[in-house]
Amino acid sequence: MRSRPAPALLALALLTLAVLASAQPSEVRIDLQSGAAERLRIRCESFTAAGDRTARVTSVEADEVLAADLAHSPVFRVQRAWNERASAGLVPQFVTSGRWQVTGATVRLTGELRELPGKQVVLTRTYRGALTDWRRLVHQFADDIVLQLTGESGVASSRIAYIVKQGRDKELWVMDADGHAARALTSDRSLAQSPSWAPDGSLLLFTSYRGGAGPQLWVMSPSDRRPFLVSGRPGLNTTGRYAPDGQSLVCTLSQDGNAELYRLDARGGSPRRLTNHRAIDTSPCWSPTGRELAFTSDRSGTPQVYLMDSEGGNVRRLTYDVTYTDSPDWSPRGDRIVFVTRTDSGFDLYTCRPDGTGAQRVVASGRNENPRWSPDGRQVVFTSDRDGQEGLWITDLDGSPPRKLDTGGRRALSPAWSPRLPGVAAE
Amino acid sequence: MRPTIRLTAIAACAVFALAAAGCAKKAVQTPPPPPTSTPDAGTVPTPAPTTPATPPATTPGALTPAEAAALVRGMQTVYFALDSWSLDDGARAALDANARVLRDNASLSITVEGHCDERGTVEYNQALGEKRAEAVKQYFADAGIAMSRMVTVSYGKERPSDEGHDDAAWAKNRRAEFSPR
Repeated sequence: MRSRPAPALLALALLTLAVLASAQPSEVRIDLQSGAAERLRIRCESFTAAGDRTARVTSVEADEVLAADLAHSPVFRVQRAWNERASAGLVPQFVTSGRWQVTGATVRLTGELRELPGKQVVLTRTYRGALTDWRRLVHQFADDIVLQLTGESGVASSRIAYIVKQGRDKELWVMDADGHAARALTSDRSLAQSPSWAPDGSLLLFTSYRGGAGPQLWVMSPSDRRPFLVSGRPGLNTTGRYAPDGQSLVCTLSQDGNAELYRLDARGGSPRRLTNHRAIDTSPCWSPTGRELAFTSDRSGTPQVYLMDSEGGNVRRLTYDVTYTDSPDWSPRGDRIVFVTRTDSGFDLYTCRPDGTGAQRVVASGRNENPRWSPDGRQVVFTSDRDGQEGLWITDLDGSPPRKLDTGGRRALSPAWSPRLPGVAAE
Repeated sequence: MRPTIRLTAIAACAVFALAAAGCAKKAVQTPPPPPTSTPDAGTVPTPAPTTPATPPATTPGALTPAEAAALVRGMQTVYFALDSWSLDDGARAALDANARVLRDNASLSITVEGHCDERGTVEYNQALGEKRAEAVKQYFADAGIAMSRMVTVSYGKERPSDEGHDDAAWAKNRRAEFSPR
């Protein structure tokens, strides 16, 4: 991450430059690297509700959804107009407001972003959708605010797939990135594991024992929830991940008697073996270019993260700084790899550059596992028992304490953050 | 004490009883057909044909499900060291005894289940459990048992026999155990 000796000044300078550069599509634009720059200070005014009682009730909820979306993007510090005391002393640079109109089963949000102190309008946008989907409108407005001010969309409209443990069974679930709208995608009382998304967000690949013949790779669309078998070869069929172009996938098979990595076409056919070692090779993930893979192997005696070319050549160990590493995930920005390390008391999360340098611990305390990047590469979602029960947590990677996702008291683990999903079109 | 084996055997009895009563049993020994789903962007995946149901083997002299379950119940669980799939003296002695059961009952087919303790990721332990099951299967094969009589399934850390979180529990959970097929 870049060092920013005077982030506030720099941000101000960039802001001024951006305002002066009239050719810019957005008038105000601030370049932010995750965690490194000072957060923008934004005030959320309550939406003005128009319509019946439903409008007033959902409008109050929508206020909080927007404020939470902005607060959870590592870009802002948020002041809620309806709870100013919580952010006393914060002098906002921007303010949001909007009109929330409910007509029958339709909701219309006209959101506005203004710059302070002059109150010049920076962004006005109108969204319309089904009342049942009202959260999507608010998430889209939050993402558009982030896009307007940073040049890159937020991730409030994305979703997180995860596994819920119910007794001895594990089911696949999905929820919005803020933890709301959670629902089960499987209910077959089997073992579902290791979900991952297709690069277009339309499908979820996962491992399941539902076929009765050990762990197999299955795929389903979150909208129709019908699972299809992708690979049911003898032995292991696990840890499937689609390539960034969606044309192939990498997974672990043991059909040749040992856990090795294979590349299959997207239908699960034409297996090509990528590793050939008597040790365990598993948990592969792609670099965002699709040219390299990171994976776990115990060929050195303990589990370690290795890299190789996507055709299987040029295998090298990622880092020698840590003695036990597992469960890699490559940032969509390409610049960091997050992985798990074993400690005396549990498991920590580290990141390092793809050349193995710059290893730094980003999450400690308890058992922290299965890290997965957000689609903008600014955050990592992971499993942790840091408060006593397995649950899902998100770190901003800046040393601030991770926050817990509310999974309704369910034991949640193995998260997978979706790519950016098609949003609500503005009118 | 091997409570899990008894549970497994009871479950197996139930499965076989259902199968005998005419219920379709999934043919675990048949590799599934080539996948035909289409997860490409924009295309709805098509379902792979499900594995055809086949009745349990009924060759003359075949064991009844109850007999098979009883035999497997008598087989000894094998234990492993941390992060290891090698068979120590104790494991080999147990497997020698188990191999005798398999030799004496030529129509007995088994599933070798590989298990791990709870430390480490689901995915790594799944591979480790498969290694353990394969090591046992290979030992039986070297002792003259036909490969066709054995399949392996790894449960990784998903099915502990002891729910505890200490060294004693972990030692009990790093194991290979057997169920009739």
